[in-house]
Amino acid sequence: MNSVEFARELVESKFQVLKTEVVDQYQISFEVTRDDVHRLLSMLKQAGWIQLSYLSAIDWLEDNEFELVYIVMNWDKALHIQVRTRIDREHPEMDSVLSIFPGCKYYERECHEFFGVKFPGNPDFEKQLILEEWDDIPPLRKDFDPRAYSDAHFAKREYEDRHTVLNNQSSKQKQREARKERITTIGKGGRK
Amino acid sequence: MRELKLFLGPQHPGMHGNASVHMYVEGDIIKKSYLLPGMLHRGFEKGMERHSWVNNISLIPRVCVVEPDINEMAFAMAVEKLAKLEVPERAHWIRMIILELARISIHLMAYGGLGSPTGNYTIMYHAHADRNRILDIFEKITGHRVYHQYIVPGGVRKDLPVGIEQDIHDFLDDLESRYTEYRDIGIENPTILKRISDTIMLPEEVVWELGVTGVGMRSAVNKPYDLRKVQPYARYDQVEFDVPVSGYSDARSRVNIKLIELTQSIRIIRQCLEKMPNGDVRVPIAKGQSMRWTVPKGHAYACVESSRGEFGYYMVSNGGTHPYRVGVRGASYPQGLLGIEKYLPGTRIDDAALWVDTMGVCSPEIDR
Repeated sequence: MNSVEFARELVESKFQVLKTEVVDQYQISFEVTRDDVHRLLSMLKQAGWIQLSYLSAIDWLEDNEFELVYIVMNWDKALHIQVRTRIDREHPEMDSVLSIFPGCKYYERECHEFFGVKFPGNPDFEKQLILEEWDDIPPLRKDFDPRAYSDAHFAKREYEDRHTVLNNQSSKQKQREARKERITTIGKGGRK
Repeated sequence: MRELKLFLGPQHPGMHGNASVHMYVEGDIIKKSYLLPGMLHRGFEKGMERHSWVNNISLIPRVCVVEPDINEMAFAMAVEKLAKLEVPERAHWIRMIILELARISIHLMAYGGLGSPTGNYTIMYHAHADRNRILDIFEKITGHRVYHQYIVPGGVRKDLPVGIEQDIHDFLDDLESRYTEYRDIGIENPTILKRISDTIMLPEEVVWELGVTGVGMRSAVNKPYDLRKVQPYARYDQVEFDVPVSGYSDARSRVNIKLIELTQSIRIIRQCLEKMPNGDVRVPIAKGQSMRWTVPKGHAYACVESSRGEFGYYMVSNGGTHPYRVGVRGASYPQGLLGIEKYLPGTRIDDAALWVDTMGVCSPEIDR
């Protein structure tokens, strides 16, 4: 029995799999319901898939859903297993798998940053790669339009920045002139 | 003793790339540390969704600057999986030559990079001079020195130029003759030996906890876990090579493994030049209208063994002219972020740069 068949039997005997897809001899993909993900991943870890290779999300805007993809690897069996699940897009929330794979911490953080998916159980969710003051739609969602932040946006911001600098300059200049005037008047007064 | 906050990088000579390690130190012992990426963030994953399949070829080598061919290979493999393209036989062998030359170049660069944290710049000048010769070979083959855009979905862009075999043989002979010299000025040098022995150890359980792959993992678990052996792609199953391993992972054994991998890469390239058949190098895709080329619906994950570990592309197609979602699995992601946060506390300040160098943390890959 090769490793693909082994994994298929192992998973399909214990879980209700929505869709199985054999990608090639080194890869198989299972789609399960949201509630099964935790149990499935911990079972896979006990069976030897001890390394989390990848975790990310896909935004299916038309279905109003997010798809989460966990890829785990077993080096002895030479097999990558994709575990995929769909979650609601309005309230994207998924329990953290930090207790099973401690390496998922930053993947989940990135998922939260770029898609807005929440992972209760993961301790910190500070912004890491994007700006801290970012309050727009998370940038990897499909309804985020990067054109809104293209040349026009930055040109406007630059214009405003430049003008505030100019205003500051002019006010500083006014201050300087006022000081000069005061000094000269004092000087003149002194002479008188 | 007072606790201080220190920033190591991005301008520090011991650091590599545009990332900063933030450390809280007491004396010279690190108490808390984390990596701050994001200085280079160029939004590749979003950018790739806005380019057509063929246009992306010019974007992907930029993900990791020092080793662009790995990106091209992983991207090409993922697209080939989706579109079910059959790559011609000769293209597989040319790809292997390119990938192994790139591996030699990046191992040389990492070995030279050992010069900055240890304060011995001689290695760096030697290694960079040899890396320059590889870039010359790349220039002859692809027309570019750094961003090659040579490995494309369906094969390679063009055939090897006439007489390049001789150039590669000359270079490999020269590198091999200077191999002992490399060892002598580098890890056999008593000062450096003392500096890198028994520092920043990486036990086996930490490897699994962090998810480290590549040299870092092989130096700790004592098993030949290499994607070229475990899940052979291209024609790696038809060449003979060994995967160096070790059961004691300090900085020295990691550097040592990289040096041994150099000789194995030389072995692979020689076999490739010998066994390479003649024939086509590329399957034509959507002749004349490559911008409108569509890829069938589906999703694929393709991974290759980079010098730092498993490097993969997760790609989703909805049947259009553009990829629906591209996810990049950077090889230095686990050891760069979680490794620095969890594993550096307790070590000394100067070991932070050694960690970044010997674990092979490439910051553009984290930022992507």
